[in-house]
Amino acid sequence: MSIIHPFQSSVSTNDGTLVFTVVKNTILAFRCNPGSWNYSLAGSWVDTLDRTNLIKEKVIKEQQRQLAENAAAAATKKSKSTDGEPVVRSVAKVPTPGTGAPPIYSIVRNLLLSRDNKMLFACADSDKSILVLKIDTNNKENCLTLVKRQPYPKRPNAIATTEDNEKVIMVDKFGDAFEMIINEEPKDKINEFEPILGHVSMLTDVMMKKDPESGKQFIITSDRDEHIKVSHYPQCFIIDKWLFGHEEFVSTLCDFLWDPRLLVSAGGDNYIFLWDWISGKSLFKFDYSELIQPYLTDANLAPARFQNETNDIVEYAVSKVVSFANLPYIAFFVEATKALVILKINKDDYSLSLFQIIELPCNLISLFANTTQDELLITLDNRESSEKDFIKFVAFNPEQNKFVINEDKGKSIDKFITDKLKNNENVTISSKDDVYPLYNIANLKKHGEAFS
Amino acid sequence: MKTKPLSQDPGSKRYAYRVNKEENRKELKHVKIDETTLPKKSNGKKSSLMELPKKRFYRQRAHSNPFSDHQLEYPKSPSDMDWSRLYPYYKDESTGKMTNKVTIADIGCGFGGLLIDLSPKFPQDLILGMEIRVQVTNYVEDRIIALRNNNVTKQGYQNINVLRGNAMKFLPNFFEKGQLNKMFFCFPDPHFKQRKHKARIVTTTLLSEYAYVLKEGEGVVYTITDVEDLHLWMVKHLEAHPLFERLDEEWEKNDECVQIMRNATEEGKKVERKKGAKYIACFRRISNPEIII
Repeated sequence: MSIIHPFQSSVSTNDGTLVFTVVKNTILAFRCNPGSWNYSLAGSWVDTLDRTNLIKEKVIKEQQRQLAENAAAAATKKSKSTDGEPVVRSVAKVPTPGTGAPPIYSIVRNLLLSRDNKMLFACADSDKSILVLKIDTNNKENCLTLVKRQPYPKRPNAIATTEDNEKVIMVDKFGDAFEMIINEEPKDKINEFEPILGHVSMLTDVMMKKDPESGKQFIITSDRDEHIKVSHYPQCFIIDKWLFGHEEFVSTLCDFLWDPRLLVSAGGDNYIFLWDWISGKSLFKFDYSELIQPYLTDANLAPARFQNETNDIVEYAVSKVVSFANLPYIAFFVEATKALVILKINKDDYSLSLFQIIELPCNLISLFANTTQDELLITLDNRESSEKDFIKFVAFNPEQNKFVINEDKGKSIDKFITDKLKNNENVTISSKDDVYPLYNIANLKKHGEAFS
Repeated sequence: MKTKPLSQDPGSKRYAYRVNKEENRKELKHVKIDETTLPKKSNGKKSSLMELPKKRFYRQRAHSNPFSDHQLEYPKSPSDMDWSRLYPYYKDESTGKMTNKVTIADIGCGFGGLLIDLSPKFPQDLILGMEIRVQVTNYVEDRIIALRNNNVTKQGYQNINVLRGNAMKFLPNFFEKGQLNKMFFCFPDPHFKQRKHKARIVTTTLLSEYAYVLKEGEGVVYTITDVEDLHLWMVKHLEAHPLFERLDEEWEKNDECVQIMRNATEEGKKVERKKGAKYIACFRRISNPEIII
């Protein structure tokens, strides 16, 4: 029996009428008919890129390079046989992935809507590219069309758009940040792209900000070495400051519409940091380690090779933090837990305090805040319940003074998804274990090498 | 079975030497060495010369991967750094604060030759060497302990020290914006392979970080190498960077540090023996341009 793969992430348009989600290598668009919670499929796009040709090309290129090198070596008589004759090795090795090389998925990641909601950006793992999809709400057949596919030398890890909506800024796993002009033909010679800035560490998130007083623009980048770097933009070569304080990798950054000076960061340590990124001050450091304890399970145990004899080393990390347009709260979750944690920001002294924990039926995979609607979209690892709990909607209820799950809306979309997609091969899997990697944040933890 | 390296064989001379030195280091690394700390001779008289460390006991592979997760110690931020542990002589006992700051950094200081030659020339500056290889760092530490001890009457070598660290990753953890006057890159690892170029110590993106820690309008980057390719690479990247400006030959001729750099480092001496070429390029950290809004 096949089941629908859990939804890896989701975003929604400002008015809430369109929801985009990623399932495996497919982007789906759902339309929510106004006034009701009746959903319809508005569009889809599948990454069908076949990597075999791509790999073949690379192999041939590498072999040619090796042959040329061998010939050159022979010409300079560097390699000789026992009787002194130069040897030309005419066979080139075929590069094959070594043991332990990570499998390559054609997963789609990092959904991001343009500020005007007319474009959808995403990253494709298959060829390490940024995808630009046009959203045409008038097209009743399929509102999504791919208009650009720009490959990069290293795997993209996060994207952001510039203030003027003209560029996408991408940060990669090698530590470099690139900018891409949206309305320009894709470029080749990707190995000659010049980064706008770089870290000597994997980059995990990026954010474009503006100082409302001076009007200066900044790019904020976070990495696996505890660093958050604030650089000028577009003069990225001028570093303004670092925000120091994290003790482990930083995985997520989040800003606020109601106060552009504020920034929240979190990652592999026990703290949620609230910063004034303009002055560089750390305003508050919230320790969430105790409140998360009841929600940690065996899934949060450290990998076997870093485990101790009693098998009780736990490694967890915040996967995502989001804010609201008007409400003084932030929401976050720790990877591989069922808890959505909501903290309140006290506007008088910028302290953070626990406001609410919402326990969901299964582990959270992704979290998105629709800032205009002040609504959270949560996708869940629903492999156990398989026909429900794909997406949950959470919003603030002023009467109860707390955040509540909109169960009816969730049920409605679950039913629609199950009915509509059950037989769609692009989004189903034959077994529960056949999933794309859903948990990869805690892996960023550094363990230090035994030798040095 | 693979035989253990000498350094891990308890019967070997190298092992014994390293253990002995390590104890010595533990004891003296952060101590303010002055006349009271000198070991006493059997006849009760103070002062004895400490033997300088021997390089052959500190052998290690010549390269270290700057991208890997080494077990490194570094402060959370520059304000968390306790410099008095490295330069105890410059701590004001009454205020508990440092009287001087580190203003000269030798990135990849190797066996520390440059530090030792720079020390007497810049008595007002604290000079820090950064080295990623453990044994090499240990050697420099032992060398500095011995030198401080042997020059105790004139308070020599109190302004230099070394740290094991990865400057490519954690330089901003140690230094504040504009703290440094001089940065040296002497005979860096050439990383010949094209795909290893990001591992080079001078790249466009890293230069922005060096520019951050260097004093605007004054700071100088010194580079020297015997590999022409690398020299051209460093010059190309430094020239292309909007915050650096090359200093001319006339300046080089008159600069004391250029002379020291040319002759002081072990690598430099080796090249000299082999009559190899030495390529030098120095760049000033110019002031930031106007910020575009």
